[in-house]
Amino acid sequence: MVNATGMMKKLDNIKGFIESSFIDWPGRTCAVLFLGGCNFRCPFCHNHPLVRHPDELVSYPVEEVVSRLGPLRKWLGGVAVTGGEPTLDPDLPELLGIIRDQGFQCKIDTNGSRPEVLARLLDDGLLDMVAMDVKTVLVRDKYEQCAGTGVDLEKIAGSIELIKNSGIAHEFRMTVLPRYHSREDIVAWAAYLGKDSVLKLQNYDPRSPMYPGLAGAKGFSPGDFDELVQLIKG
Amino acid sequence: MGVVMPLQEAKKKESFKQVTRDDSTDLALFVRTSEEDIVGWKRQRIVDALLRETFIDRDTAERISIDVEKTVQTSNLKTVTGPLIRELVNARLLELGLEEARRMHTRLGVPLYDVDHLLVQHNKENANVPHGPEATNLTLAEGIKKEYALLHVFTTDVADAHLNGDLHLHDLGFIDRPYCSGQSLEYVKKFGLNLPNSLAMAKPAKHADVLLAHMVKFAAALQSHFAGAIGWDAVNLFYAPYLEEMSDRDVKQLAQMLIYEFSQQAVARGGQAIFSDINVYWEVPKHFVDVPAIGPGGEYTGKTYGEYEKEAQRFAWALFEVYKEGDGAGRPFFFPKPLVHITEKFFKTEGHMDFLNHICEVASVKGNTYFVFDRGDTAKISECCRLSFKLEASDLEDAKEPWRMRYSALQNVTINLPRLAYKAEGDDTKLFTLLTEQIKLAAKGHEQKKKFIEKLMALGKGGPLAMLAMDLDGNSYLRLERCSYLMGMVGLNELVKVHTGEELHDSEASLKFGLKVIAHMNIVCNKMAEQMGMKFVLEQTPAESTAYRFAKLDMAHHPEETAKVIQGNMESGEIYYTNSTLFNVGAEMSPIARVEKEGLLHPLIEAGSITHVWLGESSPDKEALADFVIKTFRHTNNDQIAFSPEFTCCLDCGKTGRGITDTCQYCGSEKIDGITRITGYFTKISSWNKGKLGELHDRYRNEERFVRK
Amino acid sequence: MTLFTKPDCRLCDQLKSKFDLKGMKVDIEVLDTGDAGALAHLAWHGLVEVARKTLPILVLDDSSTVEDFTDIESLLMSRADQCGLKYNDSTGAAILCETGTCAIN
Repeated sequence: MVNATGMMKKLDNIKGFIESSFIDWPGRTCAVLFLGGCNFRCPFCHNHPLVRHPDELVSYPVEEVVSRLGPLRKWLGGVAVTGGEPTLDPDLPELLGIIRDQGFQCKIDTNGSRPEVLARLLDDGLLDMVAMDVKTVLVRDKYEQCAGTGVDLEKIAGSIELIKNSGIAHEFRMTVLPRYHSREDIVAWAAYLGKDSVLKLQNYDPRSPMYPGLAGAKGFSPGDFDELVQLIKG
Repeated sequence: MGVVMPLQEAKKKESFKQVTRDDSTDLALFVRTSEEDIVGWKRQRIVDALLRETFIDRDTAERISIDVEKTVQTSNLKTVTGPLIRELVNARLLELGLEEARRMHTRLGVPLYDVDHLLVQHNKENANVPHGPEATNLTLAEGIKKEYALLHVFTTDVADAHLNGDLHLHDLGFIDRPYCSGQSLEYVKKFGLNLPNSLAMAKPAKHADVLLAHMVKFAAALQSHFAGAIGWDAVNLFYAPYLEEMSDRDVKQLAQMLIYEFSQQAVARGGQAIFSDINVYWEVPKHFVDVPAIGPGGEYTGKTYGEYEKEAQRFAWALFEVYKEGDGAGRPFFFPKPLVHITEKFFKTEGHMDFLNHICEVASVKGNTYFVFDRGDTAKISECCRLSFKLEASDLEDAKEPWRMRYSALQNVTINLPRLAYKAEGDDTKLFTLLTEQIKLAAKGHEQKKKFIEKLMALGKGGPLAMLAMDLDGNSYLRLERCSYLMGMVGLNELVKVHTGEELHDSEASLKFGLKVIAHMNIVCNKMAEQMGMKFVLEQTPAESTAYRFAKLDMAHHPEETAKVIQGNMESGEIYYTNSTLFNVGAEMSPIARVEKEGLLHPLIEAGSITHVWLGESSPDKEALADFVIKTFRHTNNDQIAFSPEFTCCLDCGKTGRGITDTCQYCGSEKIDGITRITGYFTKISSWNKGKLGELHDRYRNEERFVRK
Repeated sequence: MTLFTKPDCRLCDQLKSKFDLKGMKVDIEVLDTGDAGALAHLAWHGLVEVARKTLPILVLDDSSTVEDFTDIESLLMSRADQCGLKYNDSTGAAILCETGTCAIN
């Protein structure tokens, strides 16, 4: 939201808030905050209103978030900040600071396009866990097809290195669908990451993708998907 | 005019009445013969029937019979049926103002059209009833018994209250049975399978698989004597003495047999699976630790149950491995429902975190696990959808001889709460007065059912409830004096909305008012219990069809008020009231808020409550669920929780995928059916009634719904 | 603050005779068989199970609860002091409830 002086209002980008999620922080019940806006246009993204038109969505005032989180302290293992792409939000460090001051651990989900922000967050000790969405193997054409936009692969690689060496809990996630991801891509990725980092696969959810051309496209069948999961486990 | 023939029907009916008085075995033979027999018209038969069945005098009876004879003669019919003659007589009785006599002389039955409809279409009142010859038998029999109950067991005020939807007398079609039963495997272990009227008697089992056979048959026998759930206490513990010599593989095999046997019992009563529950403990419950264990052959093993912890745990683990795998098509097992008790001792028992993660994984992938919280020193036995009994001092005395531990609720009566609020028109005093009256009426209904069951039980081993009268341990199997009487409720949320303008989740004030309503019910039940010497306890009614029935009736009787608070979709007719004391299923409440806030009501509902967490398609992290379960135990008053995932199974390829989708995720077929929890159990969505379909659509599945400006 | 009590409860009576609870602005809820409001209030604080074991229970303004009789007593004493009110010291040390009547059923 833009105020009278034309400046972005501070901390006005929390577009979604789930008080307790069982799927956003491995092993923990956590709260989730969704920040609007993203620099990627992944065709298979299903959060596209949040990506494309965050300004059309109602924001949760940070005060409300804080006051609702308060009574949940004994329940929650932390707060996950996701998006969109949270590292685009200039208020992210401040937001994380506010959450930490309330006694919560913090996790962010990122696409890794802004390693410099990530580095600062890590240096400032604002993060307890990072999950990075990797789109496919680090090959320009392929990556840009999956991200739906131009991508600076060096930055992606930089983020991966930062995260791997961060010393905090982390995971890499990849949403896969047969049209974009071959079995070889997936195996190659797992190998690139090495033993100390987890690659978690997510099957494509065919409902309301960002890119209309994907309508009717299917994810891997549950059986094939399980096979892929097994493949990179071993 | 030729005199009309009276008819096989009339003949049969009369013979039936005459014969039942002494011996019903002869009836079948007699009726068969009579089918071949066409008897001439005898006016006297009308007189006989009136004198036999009603209290009217002979002269009136004669007069009526002459009137009816005239009618029949002038109607030019070649044949009439017995029911027609009977209705002609009834019409005369009505004309004469002899309503009581008409009631007594009435005929119970089903119109031809309805039977035709029934045999072809699917009855959706209870999603646990499949469609088939056995199922329609059950429906027809239930129909007649229901009519019988409303005419003959209950007084008019109670019956009318049921018919107009002020309250709901559950399982009227099972009027001649108690409601539900919770028992111990020890009974079967100690006495073998020794049922009255059975052609063979089996001595106590010597092997685990034979014990299983006994257990399943006993459950089936119980199913034909109780209307509802058949629950088993501490199943894994009581199997333990049979497992010592068995390998892990064999224990798993036994677990598999147990679950399949119960889940495939759709060949029993009315084609209905046995609504069965198994209670599972990771620890040895305190009240069983020093109890001498019964083993093969019904003999004491010389050890106590405390010494069987490891064996019991091995079996518990194996049971959940089977649940995790699901059935042959990967679907969740619908029955038996596993209830795991979370207690203080659970957390002091070695391996509990591994087990908790294990059962949470099952909750995540298949949804079966129910987490029952026994806080402090309470011990409970759970059965049915959520019914649980707190063990009192006398029960703990029973625990020393666990075969004595058997519990029953005789009946369940549910009160239509929103309707009370319509009538109260915002006046507190009026509302609580009406509520008190309604509870009193429900109590009266309970007393009438009790008297009826007492009458049947008094016929002892020669009577229809011979099995419940069997007294292998010195007491009848059904211990009537220990029975509970359940008081249920539907639509607390809508009552509060009518009365305060807000739903339970909307504000502190509305929740506080909801608490006051339930506190009032609790207090009145206790008072009535003291007055009448019957144990009335509040229960969260599963209300699979009641929530829909009340909603429909209120839309008809109080359309204006109802339309303002009803849930669901009025256009499609998929309307419902919110179950029992649950919050609006569609309210965007986090699972935390739900278990906390719904849990505030649970301690007032002594026969047990539950909070459902609908998961939709997401597969949660098992450790995250485990953490949530522990915190629910530590930080709330919640009685019981269950997580409900959703599935789509394909009718073409037979595979099962996660979430409810439009097409099969494997083969793309559009011939699919959804599976999720309806109230207290999993079932296929295609069998759901309209009210429940409306609810399914509304359920909040813990997902962010971004709000547009 | 609110004190949850019940009739025929020795410990409750002891507090009532020792302190001028009204003067100290302590609300008293009496859990007898007629008052749904008191029971609902108890349930609101999540204390039904606690009250089935022990009464009285003191709920402070921040919603924290005190169940131990000695703690309740000393809290009330300091409250009385704050209010400048005297309390009757003659009742002596806490007596234990031996009859089991100091709890709801």
